[in-house]
Amino acid sequence: MDKTYFELAYDATKLALTDANENGAEITHKDLESTVYGIYNELFERQFMPDIFTNSYIGMNDKPGTRIASGGATGGYTVRIAFSEVASGLSDLCLCIGLEKCNDCYDEQTGTTTPEVLNAIAYSADMTYEYPMGMMAASSYVSMVNAHYDEFGNPSEEQMALVSVKNHGNAMLNPKAQSPMEITVQDVLNSRIICYPFKMLDCCLYSEASAALILANEQKVKELGVENPIWITGVGAANTDCFIGNRESIGRLYSNINAAKMAYKMAGLDYNKIKEQIDVAELHDAFSGQEVISYEELGFVPFGEGGKWIEEGGPMRDGELPCCPCGGLIGCGHAVGATGIMSTGEAALQLRGDAGKHQCTIEKGRAISHSIGGPGAAYAAVIVMANEEGLKKP
Amino acid sequence: MSQKDFQDHQIRDEIKISYKYTMGGQSKFFIDLMNEKKLQGTKCKKCGKIWMPPRINCSDCYENTDWIELPQSGTIRVSTIVWYTTSDFIQNVPYGVAFIQLDDADTALLQGIFSENLVPSKVKKGQRVRAVFKRKEDREGKMTDFFFVPEDEYESWIEKPEYEGGK
Repeated sequence: MDKTYFELAYDATKLALTDANENGAEITHKDLESTVYGIYNELFERQFMPDIFTNSYIGMNDKPGTRIASGGATGGYTVRIAFSEVASGLSDLCLCIGLEKCNDCYDEQTGTTTPEVLNAIAYSADMTYEYPMGMMAASSYVSMVNAHYDEFGNPSEEQMALVSVKNHGNAMLNPKAQSPMEITVQDVLNSRIICYPFKMLDCCLYSEASAALILANEQKVKELGVENPIWITGVGAANTDCFIGNRESIGRLYSNINAAKMAYKMAGLDYNKIKEQIDVAELHDAFSGQEVISYEELGFVPFGEGGKWIEEGGPMRDGELPCCPCGGLIGCGHAVGATGIMSTGEAALQLRGDAGKHQCTIEKGRAISHSIGGPGAAYAAVIVMANEEGLKKP
Repeated sequence: MSQKDFQDHQIRDEIKISYKYTMGGQSKFFIDLMNEKKLQGTKCKKCGKIWMPPRINCSDCYENTDWIELPQSGTIRVSTIVWYTTSDFIQNVPYGVAFIQLDDADTALLQGIFSENLVPSKVKKGQRVRAVFKRKEDREGKMTDFFFVPEDEYESWIEKPEYEGGK
């Protein structure tokens, strides 16, 4: 059934509160001291300042509420700001919530939803120089992937297709996923061309959803008696030049590299050894090729070896470092403002051992979530998390 | 509320805003494009970086820039061909877009890439391209006043009645 954005937000808030209560914290929405809203696109919501209307519906009146909008990285950035709310002591208990609609956009000309959804997204391109050229999300992301291929000979169309096979397949084990599918590389290669060389199955589906986390500082966690809390130990974010043509190298996403290095450093981890230091990575796979180049930019493998790594099974659920075990955006759908919060929540569930059928082996007690977005994927945010064990391990 | 009681009501609606949008300091680029088919970049007074698209301020050194007319030939840095797109552009597919570095410029400009044979190999990295303009009566001082074509197709494009060669 279709719900409004604020009704979706209510459902996610209620689920987060239920989860908190099941884990030892006796709280209601009245105990939450502030809210940080991740909401990308007013045109999807058909409402400017959708946060204030959500604030009313979820019963958060007369408390601070701040809205974050950072394209596809909105979720990661929202976690970053909610983290700073509790880490700074401005709030002891903060609701970190992302929400997004999209299915209400409608193209009367074709009698379908998708072209108008893409149009609502396309206004995120520079309106003077880039929108008039027909630039959209896929053609923007594909530019970095094509340039990466030119520079590093990787990822091939087959290597990209493996990401789609993996993430649609992982979604089979996630009851909340929108797009569980058992497919082959050939199915991806045969799907309709969107923009060269991305095919339809290389692209995530847009979605509408809400996701919520409850963040507390150390003192509050102890006071509430939370069992098995997951700690945010590192946050990193960077905006690279949104004009792709201004970048020194188009094939390297400096936002990814800088956000990852910043987050790992804060968490006391090593960019060059990160693959051995974490158990799970929930990556931003809006497009399959983007996930492959993220393996390299986030430090899992050297530049040029991301494609080979997936061929060898590295990011599979039983591989060296499972990437997007929940299905990621390709498997779960991309409800923009909610996505990075879902990824962070999924990584936290993995660390708690509560991920259900898609639970991975947790040995190091650490995981990351990753969000990118905006024109030319200019925004990036990386969050490092640890369970109690992960805090103690070197 | 139970699933059974849930009903769905939809309305038709539209958000529409009209603009008389100023290009500010970038205006000269669009005026000279429209009137004289010039591609005007800017050069930082301090570091000498040549910006295209132009900026009247250098974002690297916080200095002003000077206008500098750029050559109308350049090289593709990266491109794609679009086969499915937004409601505003879906009538135009397939179309090519490329980041093109004009000779002398330090940055690359996103522009449409037209070709008689629009295939990836024709619009790949390193391809030399040249600007083609709409006729004077069709130019509006917008980015859509011009586009690029592979150098070897330039003569055939400017022979078409709706287009003109540059300077």
